[in-house]
Amino acid sequence: MIEAHGLVKMYGKKPAVQGISFTVQPGKVTGFLGPNGAGKSTTMRMIMGLDRPTAGDVRVNGSHYSRHRAPLREVGALLDAKAVHSSRSAYNHLRAMAATHGIAKKRVHEVIELTGLGAVAKKRVGGFSLGMGQRLGIAAALLGDPRTIILDEPVNGLDPEGVLWVRTLVRALAAEGRTVFLSSHLMSEMAQTADHLLVIGRGRIIADASMQDFLARSGQVRTRIRTDQPDALYRAVAAEGVSIENRDAALLEITGVDPRTIAQAALDHSILVYELTPLQASLEEVYMALTKDEVEYHSQNIETAAVSRNIDNSAEAQDVLAGTGAASGEGK
Amino acid sequence: MSTATITPPAAVSGKGVNFARTLHSEWIKFTTLRSTWILLVTTVAVSIGIGVLGAWGMGSGIESMRESGQDPAAMGMEPSMIYLMATAGIDLSQLIIGALGVLLIASEYSTGMIRSTMTAVPTRLPALAAKAVVVALVAAAVGIVSSFATYFISQPVLTQFGMEYGLDVENLVQSLLLSGVYLALVALMGLALGSLLRNSAGGIVTLVALLLVLPIIASMLQFDWVQDGVVPYLPSNAGRQLVALEIAEDALTQLEGGLVMAAWAAVLLVGAAVTTKSRDV
Repeated sequence: MIEAHGLVKMYGKKPAVQGISFTVQPGKVTGFLGPNGAGKSTTMRMIMGLDRPTAGDVRVNGSHYSRHRAPLREVGALLDAKAVHSSRSAYNHLRAMAATHGIAKKRVHEVIELTGLGAVAKKRVGGFSLGMGQRLGIAAALLGDPRTIILDEPVNGLDPEGVLWVRTLVRALAAEGRTVFLSSHLMSEMAQTADHLLVIGRGRIIADASMQDFLARSGQVRTRIRTDQPDALYRAVAAEGVSIENRDAALLEITGVDPRTIAQAALDHSILVYELTPLQASLEEVYMALTKDEVEYHSQNIETAAVSRNIDNSAEAQDVLAGTGAASGEGK
Repeated sequence: MSTATITPPAAVSGKGVNFARTLHSEWIKFTTLRSTWILLVTTVAVSIGIGVLGAWGMGSGIESMRESGQDPAAMGMEPSMIYLMATAGIDLSQLIIGALGVLLIASEYSTGMIRSTMTAVPTRLPALAAKAVVVALVAAAVGIVSSFATYFISQPVLTQFGMEYGLDVENLVQSLLLSGVYLALVALMGLALGSLLRNSAGGIVTLVALLLVLPIIASMLQFDWVQDGVVPYLPSNAGRQLVALEIAEDALTQLEGGLVMAAWAAVLLVGAAVTTKSRDV
């Protein structure tokens, strides 16, 4: 369990985290979402005692991280896959970490096998790919068989097999009753992994809800309809607050009115409908709508930028692309 | 969805962190970097090389003077100067050992390893203290091994000039042993600077400035208060009293010199401890 109360972190005069309070419950996977620079990594570093909060307080498993007798057995964290000396081998890195808690070499070998590092364990970490570095970070997090696991962007750089493995692993850890707190920018991945969501924007918590509640909060009911008489149906349901999109000749997407009302209208006007599907908003859609105003580093819309500047030469369009890439970089 | 009825695993069992385990961890870290071994072997080899070559050069110089009927003493070549060659290597080895001290911690900051270290030992100071113990013991061992090896390898070389000498030369054994203490103090200064500056290059440059540049600048300032009140108390000048065979009347004694240098190391280490505890990593 992780409990934060009024957590504040200032970097100079710039606030990174502005007085957030939240609880991460055991037995669930809690996803931590937010735009770049919103304060996710800072919050995680404060939980692990690496950054000192400017104000407020955060406890893991009932105590400050540094107060635990056996911190690695309480909390395992992957905050940064690069938290390893590049000239040391993965095996020796884990062995040194394990030695601080008298963790047996047997466990070191276990986590190496578990994370699929067996073939490269004796090689210098400096030569590892991003994905291998991630696996080593996860191995280090699991070393103490901790009750609470914190993973910052664990699937970053992993291959599809690795992504699936992380998803299965964190689901299994949560099912054992452990607290799992992870961040990711991959919405589809988060949708499949997390039970609960914590969304942070500009250093403030902007949503703290179960996945179901979060998806339902969009409030926008969307229905996909196939009919041979789209115009007639259009007139039948048209009203204030109802928007209708013609996807093609026979396909409509109607927002702002519930599916039953649409079906009733079709029946009343004897319109044949041969598909009527309520659509749930995807996590990405709800997230984007929620954080649209919270994004600190806005990417430029490439098309619009190019058009409005009347750019017709590809070299300048490339500049726009490059500028966009820089603007979306992780801020601290 | 998980149900809320699942209870988390009971309170953790198993061993916790203590200083002995932290020390073990730091020892593993120290011995599992190839660069460490390269630096250590280089230090010993260079020390022995300088000392033995120096002894051979002096021996042959004095012999040729005697053969040509000159008095070596009149030319400033006392045979007793050969005794000093046993510890002459520390002029260079102090720089390598000092750099090792800096790198031991600064490389953790540059690679990000420090975040793993501080996660495993979140109270932080035991990790810094364990590093200090490891690097001081290794530096002391390197100093003592180098000095004794230089002495023993020099003797057959000096025999050809009939200038071999025994360990019964006054203060010699003490000097050979204290060369280890001198290097240990240099290593601790390096560790403290590396920790304060969190940067390898900056730490090494600052250490060289303290050990080599400052004494040169100070010796050029011909004011009495500088010559009497500053020069003897600079870290390397004070520390070198540890390995001196003869102490001038008005100079710091071996003990005083050692304590002055230890004070330099202690002040830097306290600064390192305070910043390690308070700064974000």
